[in-house]
Amino acid sequence: MDEAAAARRSENLAALLARTALADERAFAELYRQTSSHLYAVALRMLRDKAAAEDALQEAFVSVWHHAGSYVAAKGRPQTWLTSVVRNRCLDLLRRRVPDTMTLTRDDDEGEFDLPATGPTPVELLLSGADAAMVRTCVDALPGGQRQAIALAFFQGLSHSELAAQLREPLGTVKSWIRRGLERLKSCLDRAGMAGP
Amino acid sequence: MKLDRPDRPERLDALAAQYALGTLSPRARRRLARIARREPAVVAALRSWELRLAGLADAIPPVTPPARVWNAICTKLGIGDGQGADSAETGPAPWWSSLGLWRGLAFAGVAAALLLGLRLMAPPVEEPGQTIVAVLAGSDAKPALVATVERGGRILAVKAIGPIAVPPGRALELWALPAGKDPRSLGLVAATGVVRITLPAPADDALLGVPALAISLEPPGGSPTGKPTGPVLYSGGIERI
Repeated sequence: MDEAAAARRSENLAALLARTALADERAFAELYRQTSSHLYAVALRMLRDKAAAEDALQEAFVSVWHHAGSYVAAKGRPQTWLTSVVRNRCLDLLRRRVPDTMTLTRDDDEGEFDLPATGPTPVELLLSGADAAMVRTCVDALPGGQRQAIALAFFQGLSHSELAAQLREPLGTVKSWIRRGLERLKSCLDRAGMAGP
Repeated sequence: MKLDRPDRPERLDALAAQYALGTLSPRARRRLARIARREPAVVAALRSWELRLAGLADAIPPVTPPARVWNAICTKLGIGDGQGADSAETGPAPWWSSLGLWRGLAFAGVAAALLLGLRLMAPPVEEPGQTIVAVLAGSDAKPALVATVERGGRILAVKAIGPIAVPPGRALELWALPAGKDPRSLGLVAATGVVRITLPAPADDALLGVPALAISLEPPGGSPTGKPTGPVLYSGGIERI
């Protein structure tokens, strides 16, 4: 999507959110139509469970209906705001799970599970994001461990201890990769003029 | 963790980053969310981190969710027909959200001719655009009523110019249709002659952000709900001439 098209889409989504805040059901339905497949993909990737992703999407949109007005006060793209609502919902669900059900193995639903096993890896996704040029530069600048830990945390919602297990590194190492990786990412993105407050 | 000590901005920023990334422990996560409710600085830090990171999600290939998700949302909120967002797009919508009525090309021609006529008949004015006019037409695109008001004035005159059939025991209610908002009642109008409606503010303010007017069929005395309840009979765009 080029910049002008992205700006038009943002404007359109912001208008739909504003109308949703005024309880306009039609605008809400249109908002869902335009954004649900992206947000569902985010939830699927994080929760790795269809039923849970559907629940998260449902709860996120119920929350959007009630709190669409709070977007108006927020700065930033509507898509970003919606993604945050869904990600936070997913993170709450993930963190609420008891540890022994939080497993990385797939269950019986694997056959109809949409997440492509051969799809892009988290790091590839990180490198192909919408603000691709800036983010690519900044992510490329991260050391490998930091880059991988941040990508896994972002796209799969892994906690520190899950990251440590997956990356087979001590917890302290993973924590410091995340912390230093985020610091670097911030100063790089801020230098590039992206996403200031 | 001294989350609420304002002298530690770096610490706050690091926590906000981990909150947005999702790696905070459940306890710290809940704690930070609670503090954010009363600390604008914490909200700002969270928001700018969400902004930095959420754009990364744009690259995920979209997956269409099953229709039952939308149905469940509608059921939970008690809205819509629960038949899916796609059918909501093509299905029946509140009439005020589809202004195709007055955007129809056939009608546009008639309205333009009529507006031109009004313009020619009107006495010359010093500045253009001093009068607000709406020509209201039915589904047959024939003009039925004309509403006019001076931009600084409060008296909206609504004159029936075509034959209007009103079923016995029903009333005609005139609505302002603000862009993206629910219709606002302006008052009842008559099927014959002229009705003068007093606007709550000078017309320029009262009709600010209102691209069109419409008339619906309502019970005597007007809609009991504050929103149109009956079918729309006439509608038309607002012009400043």
